[in-house]
Amino acid sequence: MNGDREYVRLVSSDGFEYSILRSAAAVSGTLRGMLSQSSNFVEAKQNRVVLPNISGVLLEKVCEYLYYNLKHQNNPGNIPEFDVPPEMALELLVASDFLDV
Amino acid sequence: MMSSGKSRVKMRPPRNRDSGDVNFDESWAVLSTAMQEMYRKNASRLSYEELYRTAYTLVLKKHAEKLYNSFKMFVAQHLRDVVATELAPLASNTTNSLLTSTIGGGGVTSTIAVPLAAADKREGGIRFLKAVKAQWDDHCLCMRMISDILMYMDRVYCKELQLPLIYDAGLALFRDHVIRNNEFQVGEHIYAIILDQIQLERDGDIVDSSAIKATVLMLESLTEDKIDGETVYSRSFEPKFLRSSVDFYTSEAEKLSRECDSSQYLIKTEKRLQEEYERAMSYVSVTSEPKITKIVEENLITKNIVSVIKSDVSGMTFMIANDRLEDLKRLYRLCKRVDPEITDLRGALNARVIQQGAEINQDALEVLKHPDKSKGVTAQNAATAAAFKWVEEVLGLKDKYDRILNDTMDGDNQIQTSLTNAFSSFINQMNRCSEFLSLFIDDNLKKGLKGKTEDEAEAVLDRAITLFRYIADKDMFETYYKTHLAKRLLGGRSISDDVERMMITKLKMEVGFSFTTKLEGMFKDMKVSNDIMQEYKAHVQNTDPERTIDMSVSVLTSTNWPVSLSTIESHTCVYPAGIERIKRSFEKFYVDRHSGRVLTWNPNMGNADIRVAFRKRKHELNVSTYAMVILMLFNDLADGGSLTYEEIKAATSIPDNELIRNLQSLAVVPKTRILIKQPMSKDINTTDRFSFNVDFESQYIRIKIPTVAYINKTETETERKGTMDKVDELRRYQTDAAIVRIMKARKTLEHNILVAEVTGQLSSHFHPDAALIKKRIDAMLEREYIERSAENRQMYHYLVGRD
Repeated sequence: MNGDREYVRLVSSDGFEYSILRSAAAVSGTLRGMLSQSSNFVEAKQNRVVLPNISGVLLEKVCEYLYYNLKHQNNPGNIPEFDVPPEMALELLVASDFLDV
Repeated sequence: MMSSGKSRVKMRPPRNRDSGDVNFDESWAVLSTAMQEMYRKNASRLSYEELYRTAYTLVLKKHAEKLYNSFKMFVAQHLRDVVATELAPLASNTTNSLLTSTIGGGGVTSTIAVPLAAADKREGGIRFLKAVKAQWDDHCLCMRMISDILMYMDRVYCKELQLPLIYDAGLALFRDHVIRNNEFQVGEHIYAIILDQIQLERDGDIVDSSAIKATVLMLESLTEDKIDGETVYSRSFEPKFLRSSVDFYTSEAEKLSRECDSSQYLIKTEKRLQEEYERAMSYVSVTSEPKITKIVEENLITKNIVSVIKSDVSGMTFMIANDRLEDLKRLYRLCKRVDPEITDLRGALNARVIQQGAEINQDALEVLKHPDKSKGVTAQNAATAAAFKWVEEVLGLKDKYDRILNDTMDGDNQIQTSLTNAFSSFINQMNRCSEFLSLFIDDNLKKGLKGKTEDEAEAVLDRAITLFRYIADKDMFETYYKTHLAKRLLGGRSISDDVERMMITKLKMEVGFSFTTKLEGMFKDMKVSNDIMQEYKAHVQNTDPERTIDMSVSVLTSTNWPVSLSTIESHTCVYPAGIERIKRSFEKFYVDRHSGRVLTWNPNMGNADIRVAFRKRKHELNVSTYAMVILMLFNDLADGGSLTYEEIKAATSIPDNELIRNLQSLAVVPKTRILIKQPMSKDINTTDRFSFNVDFESQYIRIKIPTVAYINKTETETERKGTMDKVDELRRYQTDAAIVRIMKARKTLEHNILVAEVTGQLSSHFHPDAALIKKRIDAMLEREYIERSAENRQMYHYLVGRD
């Protein structure tokens, strides 16, 4: 795999870009589909996903989660909790539903 | 960064999801346009995210159902268009059978039958298939993309209502609107083309198998609604395929059986099987393989195999006769495929072996009846010759079939069994088999094995043993063998003691030692006799050194030796004085050593050397004891004197049949005419006169005069009957013994079981008759060894009261 492609960019509604590992992005079903090489969509070619319905803060939390998930994939036993601030909870829920996470 | 201007992003406040009515139609327009683009392969211009979001929103707004249905309609329409525009034109270039198109929607159907050259047909067909395949590929791709976009709907809506997922729905739509398209019969075309191609290939052409394979894969991936495990392939195509195959192979079978001889037929069958297998593996479909194989097998093999085997000109018989090993191998392989028990083949083999066996038997009997006099074969020799011929031929047959079994049929056990059965049956049908076998061995031991190495000798004996195994009435064989062995031992005619012993060992291994104890006893007797003779000679040296007559005696234990040798009445003989004297001397010597034993002299087995002075010179004659006694009579006659038959008989008390035999050898046989017979005729009559032939001449000083009976001829009818009677008597005893043995062990037994047990026990000696067993049971009942049970007439109890 080329160095370029290991990281993909997620863009939030307010313009924040987050670069995360492709493998982390793949935790989300939606993102995985978007970025898959065989789909010929624009996102795949540019390695860049625009998410106009997710705010920057939210998106950041989502990325955190994706890494968290990736890190602990192998060990379903004792894992540290993922901290979710209550005010974000609802939106996070909707976002994760959207992203299939 | 925001996405590029092409996407029509609806900006909505982040937190507010319920803003206003989302316009379904607008959204749908977006999506449908996108789908169009996808079909046109312009997906790269689309934004996944946007479409995904659109769909997502629609679902959230509860428009999922409409979305789903719109989607389906869209795809359906698209597919129909595709068929009409892309595929229909190609369809008309394909098969030269029907192209039905409905004109004016459900109105007149016209059929256009256009005869086409085979090459065109092929071309057109392949093109069509390829086109369908291309559409299918596109469709699949698009479906995947759409399913990705509509993933949210899948997840939420379809799962809830258990509707098929987008992808699957797409496949079903393809199935319904393309394959099952009523207007253009695409599916039918496809099937027809494929079948055509297969037919072409069967006829020997080459076809484009990759196109067919791709199509088949497509068909296989289209599953049927509501029917689990069934695909379009299995439901629509496969039955057609199998049906057409059945037709093809039925006619193929007929054609082949008409045109080819058996070996060709088999070769072609194998080829077809191979072909179908490969076809199934490569492009038809692996699942069909067993079915098609079965069809081929059924039609080509099962139906016709019997006639292939039986075919006179080229069938199995021919193959065997001409050592067509390859053909036989093939035949075996093919038979085994359809019928693991290979009943047909086995039956045919069995019949053939029995037939050949019967022929051998017949031939041997012919030789017996009509000896070839021109070759100087007398009646007795003929019998021996017949025996030889029979044994050799049977062994030859066995070799041949063994070879066939091992080379072509992998030593298959079932075939082995059926061959063994066939051999047993025809061998035992020849009721002189025991006698013949014994003669064969006898001759070998006397002459045939001379000069052979031990291994070669063993090989010959092994062959004889194989034949022995098949004989059911082994005790008959025992009787004959004993008689022959006795003659060999006493006449000193066996070429080698070791070889004799080898034979006995082998027999022992086959049937156990009860069989061979008597035989070994005979050997022992001979040895003991030798020892006694040594002692006697020493004794004579000491007591009577001037004795002029040298005598050798073989002392035999009567129970060991064949019965015919020891009956007393037929062996009377009056010995000349000198002989009588030394006889007595030996008797005294022997009885001194072993008191309590009784000696009986058997003159018919002995021989004597006489020095006879003829006019020209002296000769030494070796004659039988009886002949010696007869000749001694002439010692006291005056020159020119003669004796009548009656006189000889009175003087010697030799029984008639022996007398006749010996007189024949002395007076009739041209080379050894020691006596002159008047009248000069072949037969001996009671009125004949015998005188000493003083003019007898011969170039040899020492002449052996064989008695005509010393060759082991096969028995005359009466003799044979006598042997049979003896054997029967023995069998009766054995049966009785077996019954008592079994009853003693089991105490109570039911009739049928008893019969079965007795048969089992006796089977190694002979095959008992059911009637015989029943009679012996009755005899046992009478003698109160067993009794009938009071409650059940079929049960017997062992009576313990006997001592």
